[in-house]
Amino acid sequence: MKTAAACKTNEDPFESLTNRYNAIIESSDDAIISKNLDGIIQSWNPAAQRIFGYAPEEAIGKPILMLMPPERENEEAAILERIRNGERIQHYETVRRRKNGSLVDISLSVSPLKDATGTVVGASKIARDITENVRIRKQLEQARSELDANTAELERRIKERTSSLNEAILQMQEFSYTVSHDLRSPVRAIKGYATAVLDMYLGRLDEKGIEHLNSIIRCSLRMEKLIRDVLTYSRINAAKSESVETNVEKVISETLLNYDEFKPSKLNVALQRPLLPVMANETFLIQSLANLLSNAVKFVAPGTAPKVEIWTERRGDRIRIFVKDNGIGIKKEHQGRIFGLFERAHQDKSYEGTGVGLAIARKSVEKMAGTIGIESDGINGCAFWIELASPTG
Amino acid sequence: MILLVEDDDDDVFLMEFAMSKISDKPPMLRVSNGQEALDYLKGLDKYADRTVYPLPEIIFLDLKLPFVHGFEVLKWIKSQPALQDIHVTVITGSLEDVDREVALRLGANAFHSKPPETEFLRRVFTSMRDKSK
Repeated sequence: MKTAAACKTNEDPFESLTNRYNAIIESSDDAIISKNLDGIIQSWNPAAQRIFGYAPEEAIGKPILMLMPPERENEEAAILERIRNGERIQHYETVRRRKNGSLVDISLSVSPLKDATGTVVGASKIARDITENVRIRKQLEQARSELDANTAELERRIKERTSSLNEAILQMQEFSYTVSHDLRSPVRAIKGYATAVLDMYLGRLDEKGIEHLNSIIRCSLRMEKLIRDVLTYSRINAAKSESVETNVEKVISETLLNYDEFKPSKLNVALQRPLLPVMANETFLIQSLANLLSNAVKFVAPGTAPKVEIWTERRGDRIRIFVKDNGIGIKKEHQGRIFGLFERAHQDKSYEGTGVGLAIARKSVEKMAGTIGIESDGINGCAFWIELASPTG
Repeated sequence: MILLVEDDDDDVFLMEFAMSKISDKPPMLRVSNGQEALDYLKGLDKYADRTVYPLPEIIFLDLKLPFVHGFEVLKWIKSQPALQDIHVTVITGSLEDVDREVALRLGANAFHSKPPETEFLRRVFTSMRDKSK
């Protein structure tokens, strides 16, 4: 057996081009059929037998119409018309019928056969069995339509859930608004009546009486603050929050200006510059800082002037804002709980606090995709920190 | 005179208490809900007798009222040419900024959170007296 490279023309295994062409047609995987202009089959290769089931002697001399399923019979007339005009048909997908009656998907190419004078005398048809292709294509379409159906279903569910969620949030807001309003009303009355009694009966009250009335007023003030804080807390979830590059020093100045309890005579604030910028929402950052500063003011040993140091540290692509106070600190065993709602690390009545401030701070920080934490030895003050993304990455 | 539109009796007490510190205060009448306020100002039924129920120069208006909300009453008042000169102060237990904005936008002359303070009331009376001179 000689390789093609070693073949010379006078050692051509086929001896003639005709033989070579015959071999090509005989060995083809595709059905190669020729017909005359009356549509009668003139030649039939082995692949045609394999695909259509007819042996050459059963096909040659018969009309090609025998391969057409009833509903496609008019295709033949259309094909012959184009062939007569010298046109060719390329990769036309259609269906033919086998000898056993079953249908087969084929891709058809038809070319005009011309004699030596160039007259069209018939057609050469090459039919490729594309059953497998068609099957795969159908599977793909089905998979696609299943995917579309699933996607549509998923989108529908997401819409539903989002709308339920929005509904729930709205209800929560209305609930908390109503509750806080209705809770505040009697508290206002309690404070008002106690104040009125103190005012109207001052001369007729002994020391104990005055003290008790003052206690009623003090407790109602505390209740008012608690209700306000709980309302603030419940609102944070529903609020929209977008973080932008924020100048920390500017936000701190803003916070100090907004609250009377942070003015220089009441709180000493030392900034270690530069304060690196962070990705934050100004409202939430002010809220969380205000709560940390408020803690710093409240939880000092009696007789100590509250002092706070603020600085920033880079931690990878995050920035930590530290707020260190000179207060009484929070012991390690309490540190885990203090950011929870209504948790207080100091039960001592001489330190006011509603237990909501740090919960508000934490929720506000979380809304900005940040984290909050504390470092304290329980004696030498607290270093609270808020960690947010750095704008520079 | 002052028309107080307030449904809560305790808040009425707090208003009277705050006013008690003011020596030359105008007389005050009270209605308990939004519908009564409208009836009073329209002079319907018993309110037709203006010798007993005169039109007020000042209205203190609560927001959360039964039957007709304070904002509806406010809107109505400001739509009446005959009532344009009345000084309407919204006095409410609401802490919401949006309520304040809406009140001012609907034409309230002032907005105050409960409980009313004596100093604030004194200022309202003084400015009304100055206006009528």
